[in-house]
Amino acid sequence: MIRKNQSIYQTWFWPFVLPAMLFFLAVIVVPFVVGVFNSFVGWRGSYYFIPALKQRAAHPFQAWVGLANYRAAFADERFTRALWYTVRYTLVAVVSINIVSLALALLVNKISGWLSGLLRTVFFLPNMLGGLALGYIFQFIFQIIFTDMIFGPDGLIHIEALRYMTQDSVKALFALVMLSTWQQAGYMMLIYIAGLNAIPQDYYEAASIDGSSGFHTFRKITVPMLMPSFTIVFFMTLSGSFKLLDQNVALTDGNFDTRLIAYQILRTVRDTNPPDYGKAQAQAVIFFIIVAVISLSQVYFTKKKEIEA
Amino acid sequence: MIGAVNKHHFLIRRIQTALSGTVLVIGALVTLSPLWLLLINAFKPNTGIVGNPVAMPETWSWEYVVNAAKQLDYFRSIWFTFLITLLSVALIVLISSMAAWILVRHKSKLSTVIFMAFVSAMLIPFQAIMYPLIQLFDGVGLKNMPGLILMYGGFGLSMSMFLYHGFVKGVPLGVEEAAFIDGAGVYRMFFMIVMPLIQPITVTVIIINAMWIWNDYLLPFLVIGNSDNKTLVLALYFARILAGQYGNPWQLIFPSVLITIVPIIIVFLFLQKYIVKGISAGAIKA
Repeated sequence: MIRKNQSIYQTWFWPFVLPAMLFFLAVIVVPFVVGVFNSFVGWRGSYYFIPALKQRAAHPFQAWVGLANYRAAFADERFTRALWYTVRYTLVAVVSINIVSLALALLVNKISGWLSGLLRTVFFLPNMLGGLALGYIFQFIFQIIFTDMIFGPDGLIHIEALRYMTQDSVKALFALVMLSTWQQAGYMMLIYIAGLNAIPQDYYEAASIDGSSGFHTFRKITVPMLMPSFTIVFFMTLSGSFKLLDQNVALTDGNFDTRLIAYQILRTVRDTNPPDYGKAQAQAVIFFIIVAVISLSQVYFTKKKEIEA
Repeated sequence: MIGAVNKHHFLIRRIQTALSGTVLVIGALVTLSPLWLLLINAFKPNTGIVGNPVAMPETWSWEYVVNAAKQLDYFRSIWFTFLITLLSVALIVLISSMAAWILVRHKSKLSTVIFMAFVSAMLIPFQAIMYPLIQLFDGVGLKNMPGLILMYGGFGLSMSMFLYHGFVKGVPLGVEEAAFIDGAGVYRMFFMIVMPLIQPITVTVIIINAMWIWNDYLLPFLVIGNSDNKTLVLALYFARILAGQYGNPWQLIFPSVLITIVPIIIVFLFLQKYIVKGISAGAIKA
């Protein structure tokens, strides 16, 4: 009987899998492979180019330039600055989002009934809204509300550091972190809540019988049992922050040296004339490698902690 | 002795709950404040907005909202975005559920390899693919709305297959075996029996994909750009650029952002129970 069914699944394997594979190949695999190839040639977008001879290439393979694009990518100061900016932003954003969402989850878990549902809904709402639209709202908040109303000379309290946040590289980083935290904390909070609810109550009962203090219980029971949730949230905030684009465009449009790497790659082709797609593609491949390495190592390390716990 | 400990505990619990509640309510108000700001300023002239952003409008004049709707070609853009989102999500649900299911049921090394390939694609940032992708689709005449839908179909696969795969693993074989004994055909069995069983994760998949496709900026920007038919986000972007040449036109920006957000909020209010549940369920499965 089982053998019969296995053969049914086998017979129908390809019809069921093929559509997905075709889309996958067409939209992701083929462009990716072509992209990697293009990062090693002189590419102007609509035609291939041999830089050494300063002429068009009749055939793509003639335009091979080896690692020249990669060297140009790293030599491009805007690229390396954007990369460094993105790293700093990601560090701050990940910490911020994780702390806020975990704190929210812990607090919301103490509430029950209709208030709990309402709170969860309210905190999640920002996540439903588009990054571009939010960026415009927050641009106003930072430029006018923060600058003049609350922290200005005539405002509530005069804190110069919190003024003109969209017009300074360092301040804008924190502005972006605030925006991202506002938008994402609710989503991550839901994940943490799901994780908290998965911890068996018996553990807590045993701990309280043994006279464990609140903080001690938190460290020894809650934290280890939350590692799976932590892995997911960490993964999503880490890769998400590194790839951030819409909010970056809307909040500062990359002005005042506030370009994140995703936006920078987009602008690379506009920075030269004729556009150097080869260099931009090399930057994109570098981007991919960084994201892949970071994500994979993060998952590896947190999974290890999960097992240890 | 035990009674005293219990009463102490009870009191601490009560205080904790009250404190948590207060902090959370304040947090909730802070969270909502930008949206409140958006609402009241969408009905004010520029001077009113910049002059006193937190004040209620002197008169709630609709002209700014109406003007914004015109600038965004509102109803056309909404319809366009809705169509794209609907078709893309339907496509994603169909092909990812079918593929994930068979990958779970047909246990083999090939299945594992294929699944890993799909999931690992989540690591590829869009920038690494975008230029070759656009070129490719342009070459076959698909740098347009249908092409956009196909692209979303491809991009939604990794995450959706991951979610479906995890969920289907938890569905017992018994029901399917019974159906086979009764002589059901594969397609019938999949659509009549399996799909209803995995409905919870389908809801999650729909919500997650609809959310990012509706709000997406980059892909429509590259594929459709500044053409007559634009998605809502794209319309907002270009309207902002057009008007923003002479300083910040807040009286256009605020109502524009407001009407961009309103459809989402309406949908959210109606479906929030399912949405929150769906996200939480997806989190557990992951």
